[in-house]
Amino acid sequence: MAHRLRLPSTLLFLAALLLAACAPAGSGSPTATTLPSASLAPSAPAHSVYPLTLTDDAGREVTIPAAPSRIVSLAPSNTEIVCALDACDALVGVTDFDAYPEEVANVADVVIGGSVDVEKVVAAQPELILAAGNELIPTAVIDQLTNLGFPVLSLYPNSLDDIYADIELVGAAIDAIGVADGLVASMKARADAVATAVSGAARPRTFYEVGVFEGTIYTAGEDSFIASLISIAGGDPITGDPASTAIQLEDLIAADPELILLGDAAYDPSITAATVAARPGWGEMTAVQDGSIVVVLDDVVITRPGPRIVDGLEALAEAIHPDLFP
Amino acid sequence: MTAPVGTESLAAMEQVAFAYPMPDGGRREVLRSVDLTLARGELVALVGTNGSGKTTLLRLLTGLLKPDAGEVRFDGRPLSDWRRLDVARRVAVLPQHLELPVGFRVAELVEMGRAPHARRLFASTEADARAVASALADAGALDLADRPADELSGGERQRLLVAMALAQEPDLLLLDEPTLHLDLAHQVALLAAIRRLRDQRGLTVLAVLHDLNLAAAFAPRVAVLDEGRVVADGSPAEVLSTDLVRRVFGVHVDEARTADGRRHLALREV
Amino acid sequence: MRAAATAPTTAQSIRIGPSLTRATVVLGGGAILLLTAMVVAVAIGSVGVGIGDTVAVLGHRLLGLPLARTEVPGAESIIFDVRLPRVLTAMLVGGGLAVAGTVFQALLRNPMADPYIIGTAAGASLGAIAGLMAPLLLPALAIGVGSSWLGLGLVQLLAFTGGLGTVLLVYAVSRANGRVPVVTLLLTGYAVSSVLAAGVALLMFFSGQHLGAIFGWLMGSLAGAKWIHLAFAAPLLIISATLLVVRWRGLNLLLLGDGPAANLGIDVEREKLVLTILATLATSTVVAISGTIGFVGLVVPHVLRLSIGPDHRLLLPASVLYGATLLALADLGARLAGGIPVGILTALIGAPFFVWLLRRSRMVRPVVTP
Repeated sequence: MAHRLRLPSTLLFLAALLLAACAPAGSGSPTATTLPSASLAPSAPAHSVYPLTLTDDAGREVTIPAAPSRIVSLAPSNTEIVCALDACDALVGVTDFDAYPEEVANVADVVIGGSVDVEKVVAAQPELILAAGNELIPTAVIDQLTNLGFPVLSLYPNSLDDIYADIELVGAAIDAIGVADGLVASMKARADAVATAVSGAARPRTFYEVGVFEGTIYTAGEDSFIASLISIAGGDPITGDPASTAIQLEDLIAADPELILLGDAAYDPSITAATVAARPGWGEMTAVQDGSIVVVLDDVVITRPGPRIVDGLEALAEAIHPDLFP
Repeated sequence: MTAPVGTESLAAMEQVAFAYPMPDGGRREVLRSVDLTLARGELVALVGTNGSGKTTLLRLLTGLLKPDAGEVRFDGRPLSDWRRLDVARRVAVLPQHLELPVGFRVAELVEMGRAPHARRLFASTEADARAVASALADAGALDLADRPADELSGGERQRLLVAMALAQEPDLLLLDEPTLHLDLAHQVALLAAIRRLRDQRGLTVLAVLHDLNLAAAFAPRVAVLDEGRVVADGSPAEVLSTDLVRRVFGVHVDEARTADGRRHLALREV
Repeated sequence: MRAAATAPTTAQSIRIGPSLTRATVVLGGGAILLLTAMVVAVAIGSVGVGIGDTVAVLGHRLLGLPLARTEVPGAESIIFDVRLPRVLTAMLVGGGLAVAGTVFQALLRNPMADPYIIGTAAGASLGAIAGLMAPLLLPALAIGVGSSWLGLGLVQLLAFTGGLGTVLLVYAVSRANGRVPVVTLLLTGYAVSSVLAAGVALLMFFSGQHLGAIFGWLMGSLAGAKWIHLAFAAPLLIISATLLVVRWRGLNLLLLGDGPAANLGIDVEREKLVLTILATLATSTVVAISGTIGFVGLVVPHVLRLSIGPDHRLLLPASVLYGATLLALADLGARLAGGIPVGILTALIGAPFFVWLLRRSRMVRPVVTP
């Protein structure tokens, strides 16, 4: 990831600006400064310099000719990032699945039913396109859009640090570095707070249910993002196959979760602690016997790798350690 | 008026042997040693038991099959030296079975017989049109020209096949059991037409027939195929005797005389 | 012999082959229809670009006429970079599939034959999927879907060679005693296709995040149409289609059977090989750039046969024209229906239409021997 600005140096630089603003009146030329800390500040630019070349999560080098004032987002997480960076007005194309924040309801849909309508993207005349990597937006479509002359940044974060880096990346792309830095800083602070709060507590074996379809149980895959979130939130995640994210019932029983979090309850009211406990074979699990089955309604923010991920982290922490987060 | 029978041979088979390869790797011998010569303008009937190799013999004459031993010659040259296309311009076959593809009219199928002579890429020439018309007329099938080919009766189909063969303007016409599935009237009519065509166009004709009396009435020369060899070859009077019939076909017949003195083979009561 | 009352009895009145008028109507009409379909398909899409803009853009890019600002923003790019290559690809693919289907139906004497039947689809699919999964299968090569050789991606190259190679394999396996019986060809094609399909399924199981792209390729789609693909595919398709169109006589004769065709001068085995190679070349090219679009190669020849007759002299060129028209319009429908794979649309619309047409006309009859 490019452009990872270090927090301490940024704070120093901001402090330097603050002090410069408080310089006594009549001190002469604007360049005069008596602040020793100013000279210690590294030369990290507060503004992006165009044309700007960035490397996206797919490893592509993308050149943005000028500060984009028209942005198309091909995934809800990207939309949220743009809006969190105060650039919601610049959005000219989003997906039909976008619902947050509310302003984006008025923006034209260029991704319908999961498939990108290239003509609509072209008609929106974007100056920057934010795509989702790992074939969530097919590589062929990204190629097509690139060949049509648009700068396309493909984002695919797999951890909290990746999300921070992606926010910085988009911030650099749209000349909102300062806002990005602030957002990342506040997200980190909250995440650190959660980690600190649970640092001493016992880590229950936690099973996060993403869904059960036709008898196959889907959960957090091994080494996946959700698994890392559960870890930070103070749980010991039970994980499934890294590729398919499925877990066999017998493996789940063998892993014996102490806590079951029902992420799919957010979408299906028929999934409750009672119905889950009644499932054949599940009665053997400690979590079922102890009644530690929690309905989690914040699945969207837990699984969407965007600025609200820390909301998800906090929701997870509350579910895993309700006593620490009243 | 019959055309004079020439002495030069048009097609000749010398000690031809042929065996079909079997799926298990073996071979099924069909022809052991066949000697047969067809002079220009001759009209010859080929008779024999089922499985004696009559159809195989025809296939060897057209070059569809290559002999395992012996040689087949056409117009003096070994058949293996001939190009497929050149053979098709000289030799036509009236097959026992022909798949008639759906949707073609009779005239269009007859035109397929012009394929060996085709000159132009897409269009048909004047000569083609004339040949088709002439073939239809000679085969007595002019009235069928616009009919869909797959709606014809047995007799009409035969006339179509004759027209298709004639459209090739061949020198040698090979007929494989042309009278199968035809009633008596049509059998006679067809063979009479073939005789007439031989006279008019100077064709050489070899017809595989299963009815011995019909063969005798139709052709001045009869060849008998048995167990992969030609066991008799000559005029019907010489060849078709009670003796031969009993030997080859295993059936007893009596020789009878017709009112005008011709010989006739009569079956004893079955 | 019975003489029909309306029988033609003179040589002059005998019609052989299609008349010039008929050929003009069928082929000329087809060409006009194709041109119209092309214009309509380029003018219409999910973004409304008016006729005025369409004509202006085409005039500017093709004839060099100056272009003022278009009413719809991005119209020039939409028309010329997105729609035009896609419509042209649809035409080439439709024409190629239709002519290949016509040839295979005659060659194999099987009305259910389609261009993929002797292994092209299975082989091309295996190649394409291997290409789509190259980052997974051979990460050391660092070849991704984005990398290309002369503009052709790994997927296109592997699909093309997979399709062509499979058919050559099937052909070689079917040969016995220097002959390739049609039934053997069909059965071997089916067997080899089944084995390769199992390979495809196996790859799909391990495909992970590539499953969506694989599924899209298998359904067949024109969404990825590119000018560079057209540059390679168009000459291949035009050449193979032309070479097939001129071989109409051989195809007509092959309908009579191998024996009768040989007696009429056709080198049957050579003709079968040439026809198979040309038709497979066309099919593999098509599959390489658009995936396995089904139904066009099966239905278009049948519909045309029922309408204009089985004579390949007209049937082959007609199949090119009407197949191209069909797919251009089907792709337009697919685009308007939300970008669904075009193969779904051709099946949904084509199948019922085909059934209706069959009920109206004579059924295809089984072979009747005398």
